[in-house]
Amino acid sequence: MPPVSPMEDLAVRLREFLASKLPEASEIRIDNIAPLTAGNARQVWQFDLRWIDQAARRQMSCVLMRKAKAGQLETDLDREFRIVDALWGSGVPVAQALWIDSDGRWFERPSFIMEKIAGSSDLQSLLKGGPGQDSRQIALDMAAVAARLHRLDYERLGVDFLPPARIECAAAQQVQYWESLFLKHRMEPHPVMVSAFIWLKEHQPTARRISIVHGDFRFGNLLYEGNRINALLDWEMVHLGDPVEDIAWAYRTLWSPQAFLSLDEFVGRYTQLSGIQVDPETLRFYRLLGEIKHSIISLTGARSFADGRTRNLFLADRASTISAYLMQFLDWLPGSEPRSKASC
Amino acid sequence: MTKPSIGELLNGVATSLRESVLPEIPSGPTRRQLQVAIAIIRRVALVWDKVAPYLYLDNKDIEQTAIRICALLDRGQVILEGIDPGVLRRRLNEKEMESRSPQIDYPMWDALAARNIELQQILVNFQEALHAPALQTASVPARADRDEIAAMLQALFRRMLARELEVNAPPNRAGRLA
Repeated sequence: MPPVSPMEDLAVRLREFLASKLPEASEIRIDNIAPLTAGNARQVWQFDLRWIDQAARRQMSCVLMRKAKAGQLETDLDREFRIVDALWGSGVPVAQALWIDSDGRWFERPSFIMEKIAGSSDLQSLLKGGPGQDSRQIALDMAAVAARLHRLDYERLGVDFLPPARIECAAAQQVQYWESLFLKHRMEPHPVMVSAFIWLKEHQPTARRISIVHGDFRFGNLLYEGNRINALLDWEMVHLGDPVEDIAWAYRTLWSPQAFLSLDEFVGRYTQLSGIQVDPETLRFYRLLGEIKHSIISLTGARSFADGRTRNLFLADRASTISAYLMQFLDWLPGSEPRSKASC
Repeated sequence: MTKPSIGELLNGVATSLRESVLPEIPSGPTRRQLQVAIAIIRRVALVWDKVAPYLYLDNKDIEQTAIRICALLDRGQVILEGIDPGVLRRRLNEKEMESRSPQIDYPMWDALAARNIELQQILVNFQEALHAPALQTASVPARADRDEIAAMLQALFRRMLARELEVNAPPNRAGRLA
């Protein structure tokens, strides 16, 4: 018997999985499977699905996302599936979440299927502002999407699978989370990073409100077509917290839309649409936290590679990027006195 | 000296991979992995000879800063929990000798790296002691000395990162990071 190619094997797994999810369906067909470029935390394939449901022919284009063996972050695919499902129809652009294999029974590792949405997520093209593409308009649309996401009534939306957050402790929760990852994955003492965490713990702001925070909100995690955003992608870092965190992350130097839309303009548009005020000190805190957050993401990826848990070469040399982020942290550090701390 | 040098050899390997192997590989994940491998080889080729001097300078700088902090602690105004300047000074001097190979009067790379880790830990200890709750309510002279130590450490961190950047983000790579 000739060996089965990885794509044929995947098609068989998809048919069996979908047969379990669509018990009424017959003649399930999988065509045009192809890998898609994705981040380092998951593998992604697109495919066309056709089936007969009670004599009606149905078809749709889908995307399969499978958790990577080991990546930059230990993420919960189940939570990502649930938040996208909860946001469907809320006004925040997301792809429809369809079916999940939570325990990896069908695809070896946790995986889920989503509707495929038209559009591109090419960060380099966005940053270059290529012909026929208005990156300023996309950045403005991004401000509108952030406003919609952050104004959602998350309690009504039923996202109780996200850990609760209080305005006094939202910053502390994030600092604690990232520090715990740092302590777990560091491969050397890293005194600059220790110093950064001390500063962050001494200067935690109180949030004006608690919102659903995307957590990786940036150029590059948008599916856009023309000048508008069709979907927000990569919800693996979603949490409840201070909405300012998303704005700060969107303007990290590496992917900032600053060349097309200044941070002040973005904040102005966002506040106009959401009514949420952005405190400059809070924004600076989260910009500083963003440098540390990205340092830890890089560190975690480098550690996965160093430990042999992944062979993804994208992660091999990630630790070498950290010094630039830490230097940025020091450059932005104000000479202010510590704020009084809430008990969190 | 063996020619080609390690840097030249690695550059040649990266060029061969880019010009001979990469064009044979179709677009997709495998090609992207090879592109990343080539980029890593190029970075290592650029900086391999700078790593030992970087560690040597880094260790010297940390040692000298720590000794200056010990001198400040000798004044007795500020007391850092868990840090005895006399003990620390002896440790700094002893390790300087141990980092040299007995056969040649030149510090070996692994000794430099081990020493760097140890010195980093001393800096972590300084940081944690400086921010101990007791120091927040210390006397004015004690807080002044604390602030001076904190400023010395901040300046040291900048110098350490600047050196790291020379190794981690050589000029032709820095553009991609920005």
